[in-house]
Amino acid sequence: MHNCYSLGIDVGSVSTNLLLADNNNKIVEKLYLRTSGRPIEVLTKGLSMLKEKMGSKDKIIAVGATGSGRQLAGVLTGADVVKNEITAHAVAASHLVPGVRTILEIGGQDSKIILLKNGVACDFAMNTVCAAGTGSFLDRQAARLDIPIEEFGSYALRANSPVRIAGRCAVFAESDMIHKQQTGHSIENIIAGLCEALVRNYMNNLAKGKEILEPVLFQGGVAANIGIVKAFEKILGVKIIIPQYYDVMGAYGAALLAKEKVESTGNTSFAGFNVVNRDFKARSIECTGCPNMCEVIQIISNGKTIANWGDKCGKWGAVKSEVG
Amino acid sequence: MLITIPHMGNVYLAAKALFDGIDVPYVIPEPNNKESLQKGSLYSPEEMCLPFKLMMGNYMQSIEKGADTILITGSCGPCRYGEYCELQIKILSKLGHDLDFIVLDAPGEIGMDEFLRRLGKIFKASSKSRAEKLLAIKRAFRVMDSIEKLEAKAHYLAGYEINKGDCKRILRQCKKDAFGCDNPVEMLRVIKEYLKKINAVPVDKTKNPIKLSIIGEIYTVIEPYSNLNIEDKLMDYGVSTKRLLTPSWWYRDIVLKPLKLNSPGLRRASKEYLPLYIGGHGRECIGEAVLAHKEGMDGAIQIFPLGCMPEIVTKAILPSIQRDKNFPIMSLIVDEMTGEAGFMTRIEAFLDMIKSQKKTN
Repeated sequence: MHNCYSLGIDVGSVSTNLLLADNNNKIVEKLYLRTSGRPIEVLTKGLSMLKEKMGSKDKIIAVGATGSGRQLAGVLTGADVVKNEITAHAVAASHLVPGVRTILEIGGQDSKIILLKNGVACDFAMNTVCAAGTGSFLDRQAARLDIPIEEFGSYALRANSPVRIAGRCAVFAESDMIHKQQTGHSIENIIAGLCEALVRNYMNNLAKGKEILEPVLFQGGVAANIGIVKAFEKILGVKIIIPQYYDVMGAYGAALLAKEKVESTGNTSFAGFNVVNRDFKARSIECTGCPNMCEVIQIISNGKTIANWGDKCGKWGAVKSEVG
Repeated sequence: MLITIPHMGNVYLAAKALFDGIDVPYVIPEPNNKESLQKGSLYSPEEMCLPFKLMMGNYMQSIEKGADTILITGSCGPCRYGEYCELQIKILSKLGHDLDFIVLDAPGEIGMDEFLRRLGKIFKASSKSRAEKLLAIKRAFRVMDSIEKLEAKAHYLAGYEINKGDCKRILRQCKKDAFGCDNPVEMLRVIKEYLKKINAVPVDKTKNPIKLSIIGEIYTVIEPYSNLNIEDKLMDYGVSTKRLLTPSWWYRDIVLKPLKLNSPGLRRASKEYLPLYIGGHGRECIGEAVLAHKEGMDGAIQIFPLGCMPEIVTKAILPSIQRDKNFPIMSLIVDEMTGEAGFMTRIEAFLDMIKSQKKTN
């Protein structure tokens, strides 16, 4: 007896998530790994971990990649679908909670709000120039305060009177937190204040002018932070639903989209698990062909360039060969 | 005199045709690239909007090649653009560059005599006859009009082309070949040839592509480097795009403004949401959004530089249009810090959203 799985991959700034979904779209295996600035390494490591967990006769029938490293993941694995994370999150959420109207998503370096109507996204926003109020900032503050990030939220819950932190800019928020800490506020009150500041910032930046209707889903790595969840509930005055697989929703969406694609095309372009044994390198060069000075990324595998991107004229993008 | 101009879309082609036609020495700066942005940012106020920085970069690159005269348009307008030339003159003279700035403000603002006096500075350097000069001006305008016509066709047909990439390739090649011409007659002939080519591109009229309007601040919608080549990218995605704001729209607007004959359609369309002029092209942006919906487009993308006052106002109005007319509009803000990844994610998600909405309707 062998099983067929769809593989979903989400290479984000902070975490790289992989998951396997079975024929009934049930998540059977999931991995949440730290990207640690080395997406290729982490991705191949994740793939070999999944391979070990799968039976020898099990098959991958579809692969979808998403996240800021989706292009890279797509080339490495030969993904059937390479999709932006906004669409992937919306697809996953409306699959798990049909009728969802609002998705709050806070990841490592970006945050999004997606509004849906009849199962279809009708409006969205994503943070623009600044990453204040996202997971990596919380990570950094946890490290500075020497608190494991997993416990960060519970500190916030123990606060009796959250202080007001300037949450507009990550650098100034940190200065403000240090200032509050030096004047004698407790860590708990500062952390709770920070959670509220981040949510306030999110509401002012992304959710401004948007009608937040229930059911409201909160997903992305930061949904693990109970302090942020409570702050959202306090400010929005609605119940926040955290889906069971909140941290791998992007990957789940990618897997669902890939399965749908393969159902119409007939077969997967998955390169196979042996890609983990290959050597992948990425390098960037500046094209000197014209004054555009495009920064071209080259993916090199076993001495051969397998993909290029980043050029404007299409001169480099044309060089593409299958991972074989 | 060695004259130069800052970039804005295809204006450099018309400028080249003009200078070649009247036989005045000139430098066309390199197309905007990260070096012009770096150089420009170095000498611009940090909070300044993106067009200013890119223009400064253009000047610096031209000055390196010996340019001593800068030709720009002014606006005396109630947005920062109206102050661009003054500030740029000051910054460049502080840097020790002895430059002559020829600022072409609208004749309606500075008077016809002053306008002609300024324009005369360029033509004094030419040994051509009056008739030849007038002909050169006419040809430069024709270059502008025809390259825009080609560009608009390419952007729209990209959604219908059968062989993916045809339109983009023709447009790119045309600009390259036109720039290689050293007389305006030749340039016009080249563009005409490419117009024939674009008209002959095999298209599938039964396709139903996503159709988008590009609206927003005039420089950032026209100058491809400033908007991360959004129109090229949309062509790659097989999206048909339309854009009203072009350099030729702009000069027609300036000429017709004193007579109040400029874009009556836009004015009518914007009336419900923004009945007055708020500076820049804010009112036009609102009018374009309303018209785009009327014309059956599937959505609109607004682009403007960080800190652009008129467009910040319109950004706050656009959601009402989106809600009232059920017409998707996305705002993209560009700045020297704009990261391409986030930009692409948003564009892709916007296209996905429109696609699935089209499917359900």
